[in-house]
Amino acid sequence: MTATVSGKASKYDQLIEPTRVHGSLYTDDEIFREELEKIWYRTWVFVGHESEVPEPNDYVRTAIGPQDLVLSRDREGVLHVLVNRCAHRGNLVCDDQRGNSSSFRCPYHGWTYKNNGDLLGYPFNRGYGGKGNIEGELGLGVLPRVDSYQGFVFASFASEGPSLVEHLGAAARELDRLAGLSPEGKAELTAGWLKHQTGANWKLLVENETDGYHPQFVHGAIFGVTGSPIGALYSDKSTAVTRDLGGGHSENDLRPEFRKFGEPMRWFGTTEERVFEYASRMREAYGDEDAERVMIEGAPHVMIFPNLFIAEIQVFAIQPLSAHECVQRSTAVQLRGAGDINKRLVSQCMGSVGPAGMLLADDTEMYERNQYGVGMRKPEWLDIRRGVDRERVDENGFKIGTATDETGMRGFWGHYKSLMEAE
Amino acid sequence: MAPYRPPSDQSREIGIVESEFASVRISINDDGNGPRLRLEDLRGDKVRYLDALELETLVWLRDEHLSALLDPSADRWRE
Repeated sequence: MTATVSGKASKYDQLIEPTRVHGSLYTDDEIFREELEKIWYRTWVFVGHESEVPEPNDYVRTAIGPQDLVLSRDREGVLHVLVNRCAHRGNLVCDDQRGNSSSFRCPYHGWTYKNNGDLLGYPFNRGYGGKGNIEGELGLGVLPRVDSYQGFVFASFASEGPSLVEHLGAAARELDRLAGLSPEGKAELTAGWLKHQTGANWKLLVENETDGYHPQFVHGAIFGVTGSPIGALYSDKSTAVTRDLGGGHSENDLRPEFRKFGEPMRWFGTTEERVFEYASRMREAYGDEDAERVMIEGAPHVMIFPNLFIAEIQVFAIQPLSAHECVQRSTAVQLRGAGDINKRLVSQCMGSVGPAGMLLADDTEMYERNQYGVGMRKPEWLDIRRGVDRERVDENGFKIGTATDETGMRGFWGHYKSLMEAE
Repeated sequence: MAPYRPPSDQSREIGIVESEFASVRISINDDGNGPRLRLEDLRGDKVRYLDALELETLVWLRDEHLSALLDPSADRWRE
């Protein structure tokens, strides 16, 4: 291992260099524990979507790392993120993945909580000196900050820190783009989540999400079978770019390539005629010119640090469980008021990342092979130099590379390092 | 008696419980992430949803508790 800074080099100076990262970052249990504290329990993490809890008293189970959480909407419509742990003896208070209830009752001793986390009561209360003695003292753990942007709900275990809008930075406009694909300006996540457990470190997934170098190889079979034009987006000839959006966020901006063809719905592998109802509603809502531009440019392909990945038609949430294991939850994007396209969004999503989906199976195989590899002793480093000498700065000050460059990965690691070095 | 209004889209109507004093339509509503009882006061134009835990609580409510709730100044006509 080589320290790159003479004198006072931090642990992470020694493990993260501009164009390579040390393999122990993916395997070291102590580093994972530090990541939980400095990243997962400190920054904003995606926990769900407002459309998953549309009615008062709706709730869904969610998670941040190994923390089991409940996203609830109280009677007044306010969103809360609660830790799924009874304040009495630590039992889980909520078993179902979703439901509608104004309160939660622990199965162990019947302690009952409002859906904002307040303790309502406990059986045989004379043992605690009667009603009202401990209600203010014991409640469910409540995440101090919950906020949403375009319906995407984020929460933080830290009571202080940058606002959600500051955290999202330039990635916010990608959520705007997604919402803009709906004739009513709202994307929703109402199709239900699939869970895939993967024997790999969470960072391998994040790095892969905007890695445009792998699709032609890893997904070659599905592109060949379906005749998809997606593979060509990630080649030396492509005009698409990889962009470091700052804050650990990155994107594959495919718009230049789609603009070149100028065909509405090409990004979705179809034509306007085949999703006539959707296209008509878009033209009606936004006018011909704007609707056509949106339908040509398509959906974003963006990785929002640390766990929200939007891949055009589907959304992933990454949940790390240990240095060696994580869960990917995935769901199809649904566009409010979109008519016929929503069913197609679900079926395409199932085909790519469902239980028998080809894209996710391809990628997961690579993650697990990688994890196996990084456990080996030599060579110690992983290389992320691709495109560093042709990287440039765009008109908005963001670093961009070609479609296959590792610009996004370098952006991720720079941000990761700054968080891990913070006290 | 108030004119008939169908319950919301996702409600399964059970029926109307009515006396000379009150008229309430009962249905099971599926708009949310789980079923809820939907109670509609057909004379007062107010709707209340009750989830399973709240209903179970009502079942176990002592009669004197329930009587206290029936006091017209308890909630509805407080001021």
